[in-house]
Amino acid sequence: MADRDYLGEFEHIVVLALLRLGDRAYGVTVRQEIEVRIGREVSIGAVYATLDRLEAKGYVKSQFGDPTPERGGRSKRFFRVSAKGVAAVNRTHRALQSMTEGLRLFERYS
Amino acid sequence: MRQACFVRPPRIAAWLVELVAPRRDAESILGDLFEEFSDLASKSGLASARRWYWRQSVKTIAHLVGAGFRVAPWIIAAAVVMGFLLLRFGSGLPEKLVVALLRTQRPYSNTRVDAYVLFLAWGILIGRLIESMIIGCIVAVAAKDREIVATTTLGLVFGALTGLGLMLLAGQWLENAYLIPFLVNQFCSSIMIVIGGVIVRESRSAMARRTSRA
Repeated sequence: MADRDYLGEFEHIVVLALLRLGDRAYGVTVRQEIEVRIGREVSIGAVYATLDRLEAKGYVKSQFGDPTPERGGRSKRFFRVSAKGVAAVNRTHRALQSMTEGLRLFERYS
Repeated sequence: MRQACFVRPPRIAAWLVELVAPRRDAESILGDLFEEFSDLASKSGLASARRWYWRQSVKTIAHLVGAGFRVAPWIIAAAVVMGFLLLRFGSGLPEKLVVALLRTQRPYSNTRVDAYVLFLAWGILIGRLIESMIIGCIVAVAAKDREIVATTTLGLVFGALTGLGLMLLAGQWLENAYLIPFLVNQFCSSIMIVIGGVIVRESRSAMARRTSRA
């Protein structure tokens, strides 16, 4: 059943941000990428709550880096999308595409 | 950037985030907030960075509390119900202990009834607060990684019931004046429950830090 799951709206955005950032994906960069790309101010707590949920589902993996002085001696937690996560993004995209196919959204509502 | 390294974010906000965040996330969340705060302080000034830090902290706490309920609803619910039952059925314990203590220790002379009443009243008051704090500790231990979420929920439930009591008394203060100290004590008990949660959380964090250093 879990393999048939679709990503929620914010989960989808976070996974896409991780895919865009690649090796540089950690809390700050993910938050800023979302803010810059979609113009929505998000809290670091919302990002972590979503990343924890995605990690519990097996869509995301994380590892801690070394502590650095510019972070007050605290370490970064880097995230990357797992193969299962990529499959979930593709599944969600296909579902959205098939649901919007033939709707001519831009013509009708612009 | 070098200058920004000496700027400290608001301590209370950072402490509150650390209390609410799951222990695994706390370090990276605080590190991320610190990094962005330092960057913002060097670009836009300290006041603006502090405002940003507080705004982010409040939003982060709200999200983490919500996530706590979603991730472990049954553990939190069970811990809160257990705490409520302990408060309900253990409510007479401080009185019994204080009376027993006064009988054995006798810190007053037999002729001074007012001294006895004073010791009794203050003893019960302090006993109830200590009892609430211990129950807060028990609830926090049972709630595992969600100590503050569970104890704050219990404190709010307890506080809401006290508020209901105050509303029922509205307009009849003179007839029920004797209940006012009791209700004030109940409010203080709600705070003591949360303090119990904070004690457990801080102890666990200190232990985790010691283990990671070793």
